[in-house]
Amino acid sequence: MPIPIVQTRNLTKIYVRDVIGTEFGRLKIRLKNRKVAALKSLDLDVNEGEIFGLLGPNGAGKTTAIKVLMGLIFATEGTATLMGKPLGDKSVKASIGFLPENPYFYDYLKGYEFLNYYGQLYGMSAAARRKKIPELLELVGLSHAEDLPLKGYSKGMLQRAGLAQALLNDPKIVFLDEPQSGLDPFGRKEIRDLILSLKEKGATVFFSSHILADAEVICDRVAILSKGRLMNVGAMDEILSARIKAYEIEAMNLSEDMVSELEKMSERFIRRTKTVLFVVEKEEIALAIVKKIIASPGHLVSYTPRRETLEEFFIRNIEPQNV
Amino acid sequence: MSKIWAIAFNTFKEAVRNRILYILLVFALLIMASSGIVGELTISARERIITDLGITSINFFGLLIAIFVGIGLVYNELDKKTIYTIVTKPIDRHQFLIGKYLGLLLTIYINILIMVFFFLAVIYYQGYMDFDVMSKALWVEQANGEWASPTVISYFMYYAKAIVFSLAKAFGTLTLLYHSPLTQGILLVVFYGCLELAIITGFAILYSSFSTPTLSAMLTVLTFIIGRLNADIIVFADRMKEKGFETSTQKMKYIFAWVAAHVTPNLWLFNRRTSLAVDNVEIRLEAYPVLYGILYSAAILYLAVHIFRKRNFK
Repeated sequence: MPIPIVQTRNLTKIYVRDVIGTEFGRLKIRLKNRKVAALKSLDLDVNEGEIFGLLGPNGAGKTTAIKVLMGLIFATEGTATLMGKPLGDKSVKASIGFLPENPYFYDYLKGYEFLNYYGQLYGMSAAARRKKIPELLELVGLSHAEDLPLKGYSKGMLQRAGLAQALLNDPKIVFLDEPQSGLDPFGRKEIRDLILSLKEKGATVFFSSHILADAEVICDRVAILSKGRLMNVGAMDEILSARIKAYEIEAMNLSEDMVSELEKMSERFIRRTKTVLFVVEKEEIALAIVKKIIASPGHLVSYTPRRETLEEFFIRNIEPQNV
Repeated sequence: MSKIWAIAFNTFKEAVRNRILYILLVFALLIMASSGIVGELTISARERIITDLGITSINFFGLLIAIFVGIGLVYNELDKKTIYTIVTKPIDRHQFLIGKYLGLLLTIYINILIMVFFFLAVIYYQGYMDFDVMSKALWVEQANGEWASPTVISYFMYYAKAIVFSLAKAFGTLTLLYHSPLTQGILLVVFYGCLELAIITGFAILYSSFSTPTLSAMLTVLTFIIGRLNADIIVFADRMKEKGFETSTQKMKYIFAWVAAHVTPNLWLFNRRTSLAVDNVEIRLEAYPVLYGILYSAAILYLAVHIFRKRNFK
């Protein structure tokens, strides 16, 4: 059994709100209910080399979990280790890349200067920086903007710059907090490809997201958080495959009698220009329909058992939160 | 150490690319340039007024930079969340804070250097000019409509030469190649001022490591004022003790004054302006204020680091 590269045990974070604070722009004095549990006894194991998705609705505690792991905030209870060492270990920090949610950087720096500064913080030599920075700018598609101050960058460009800084040290683990938020479909696809290429290079990718469709495609394993609690963790097919939600049967050239007969057997029926689609929940009925179509002069176009999507899983299991 | 310097230089870069710094600097230079005119208003003490005004503006603008850049230094990093990607790099939180501190000091000292250079040039320039004689001569010529007469031309030639020589002498003074008793005094007064600013900058960073910029600014100014009055407060407390305490309120006042005076820095140690400009006392380099300044700044920075280390970056 390999040692998990990220491990948390009973990780809990309770925020204590200030007695005097603002809420919706108004001054508010709060004497009771000051404690807010953002993360409740989280136990996670992430294995080396996998793409691990931390999923959940807004306010579920995803960012809190990442911030604790990054040493930005301190856990109220529980322990966590990265690469087998306690949080905050400098040698571990040297092999980590981190992209925060909606990253904001020193906007007076130019693209190249920015990466050069961060390279210095990683302790890279001047020669190493001169070699690595153009490569990275090329990789994230910012070569044209290396002399432009970050002030002039669009949101997507900032996200790319943020990714570049997270990859400066060829990290062993990359933490990405909502890497796709605010990006257009092209940007999202590029990030997806990048995450996959990091895995190919042997890096572990730990990322949080609420864009479930993407997570479904790339994650080896996911953990689902809701209201600070871990709801479910496991490989994507462990969580979803047990439940085939429906069978879709598409056929063409069926006689009208046949269509009306099969329509009665199925839960849903859709007529398209050339084909008809039957949706059935039970496997026996689905197979019976298929047999009838094959026996008839019509053609079977497709037979698709459709499993539950992550989104459907979410909606079924997790109630929306007022955050 | 190289990481601390990387942070310090980046902080310096941030300040240099900030417009406020230039506005402050230009304003300070204007005041110094106009000190000649203000000097004209006095009957006999022109040199004293110029020295006084120059040193005061150097100290004052140094203080403004320390407070207004210092208070935002840590707060902005937290507010804009730029700190997230910095402290997750292989550096310690104290390296970040010390780097920020050194970067701000570097910014302040370079500004002071520019101001001192300009100020010295103004002083040397004053030495070349006998304005009364020259303006009278000029006035007669111009009244006759002779704008390009030899007097006017030689006057402007002299004027240009005086500027070049003053700038050269100011440069010589800063590189310690050339000095007059007055300018040497000025350099020492400014040096003491720099020590004072090291302490104030420390306080600005300390306050900004746990409160908002506005509150930090108020606390820093308050610390500066109490620090400057420190010696007076000690005298006041001692007098109260000599008289004896009749009521418990008096005793409370004494304890408060004693604590305030001993916790806040004694900034009076660094204020040598009056000795130079008013009392004409020779300024010397003393070990005590230098050590005091360095150790006090280090202590304040240590406290700031201590608070900063335990902070949650929400």
